Amino acid sequence: MVVKIRLARFGRTNAPFYNIVVSHARTARNSRPLEVIGTYDPIPKTDLYDDSGALHKDIKLDTTRAKYWIGVGAQPTDTMWRLLSLVGILPPKYRPTAKPSPGAPRGDKTAS
Amino acid sequence: MPPRIRGSSCQPQLLLNYLEPVPSSSISPASALTPLHRPTASPSPKCSRAFSTTPAPQITKLRRAFKEWCADKGLMYRNAPYDQTNYMGFSRTRPFPENEHFKSEPVLSVRARNMIWEAIMVKGMPLKAVSAEFHVDMRRVAAVVRMMEIEKKWEREDKPLAHAYARAITAMLPRADLLEGENKFEPINDIHVHSYTTQQLFVPASESRQFTRADAAKAFGEHILPPDAKMRIPELVQMERNLVEGMEPREARGRFIKEAAESEQAFAERQRERALAAEERKTRVNTGRFEFRFEKINAENVGPTGRARKAAGWRYGAPHMDRRRGEVKIPTSVG
Repeated sequence: MVVKIRLARFGRTNAPFYNIVVSHARTARNSRPLEVIGTYDPIPKTDLYDDSGALHKDIKLDTTRAKYWIGVGAQPTDTMWRLLSLVGILPPKYRPTAKPSPGAPRGDKTAS
Repeated sequence: MPPRIRGSSCQPQLLLNYLEPVPSSSISPASALTPLHRPTASPSPKCSRAFSTTPAPQITKLRRAFKEWCADKGLMYRNAPYDQTNYMGFSRTRPFPENEHFKSEPVLSVRARNMIWEAIMVKGMPLKAVSAEFHVDMRRVAAVVRMMEIEKKWEREDKPLAHAYARAITAMLPRADLLEGENKFEPINDIHVHSYTTQQLFVPASESRQFTRADAAKAFGEHILPPDAKMRIPELVQMERNLVEGMEPREARGRFIKEAAESEQAFAERQRERALAAEERKTRVNTGRFEFRFEKINAENVGPTGRARKAAGWRYGAPHMDRRRGEVKIPTSVG
């Protein structure tokens, strides 16, 4: 059976919170996975004492385990591929085709 | 059951009379040719305000007595003294004369708060030293400085401040100016009594060795701290020891301030190191819209059952009871 790296939704109504899990593809979303390798909080937050209004999202990830599972053939879902590509574990899958307008802020990617 | 109208001033019959003027003689009880379904209320005096259900103000015995009291004994409470509370009776701390258990505790006056702020932000004294000097709890000292900083920031930003409200509230409470002759404001070095230490214990100890407070704490439990480690300002103990050993008070105080400053710097250094370590575990990726913060964790901290509390993520097979009725979420005991 295919092993996937995917998200399992926890949290409450209108307050999602995800476990990043490694599990078999045909098991239920919130069933006990092979391993929990992190969490993803999709709700953007502001910093305390920061008036600029800049938003951030918190992700916890065991990068070593993520690399291991990809090395043995686990397949990340699209969302997980996007997140893993942000830290440089995977190459980006989707690249924006439209060129950004010159006035738009450019993000500096400092992936390790 | 249909709603009932209370009071005698609003009767359906009177209301009808108002809508369809009839000779006033028909209101008299003699001509009470009321149908059976109408309430047969007792006759009432003629009501001048047929639509109002509020009874006319009547001077009661209590109210009359109150007015008499105001004109006689109450005169002394008419004008509040400037710097004291205006409580009834002869007490300055009991707002309710009948309730002797209710005591209003003094609050820091504006002048006292300014003194604390100046000692910390202008003179740069350590928090512990200011706390010991004014006999104000360290947490309160920190809170005063934080609040005054916010106040000053708001003043710089021209935000409106509720001065009148603050004046009115402080005028109703006893105040402490933290001057020389005043009573001590509050105890500053109290320690929490752990429930483990309230039990009676028989520990055999040899007479030839010293049995210190640290040993006593260990006898109560491995995790119980001795009082010296629990108190907020242990440097005060050292200062008293120095005084007993014959050190000059001035020198002892200087040494206390130095030790307090050193301990606070060490604390700040620990905080900084902790923040740096947390930052090192993080990778920040800015996509322009959001900044994604990846924190490196160890997935193997889940423990043998996979349910360790420190592990990342929601636990499986351990439902959150936070919505169950009557669930107490705050801790009810300490360690």
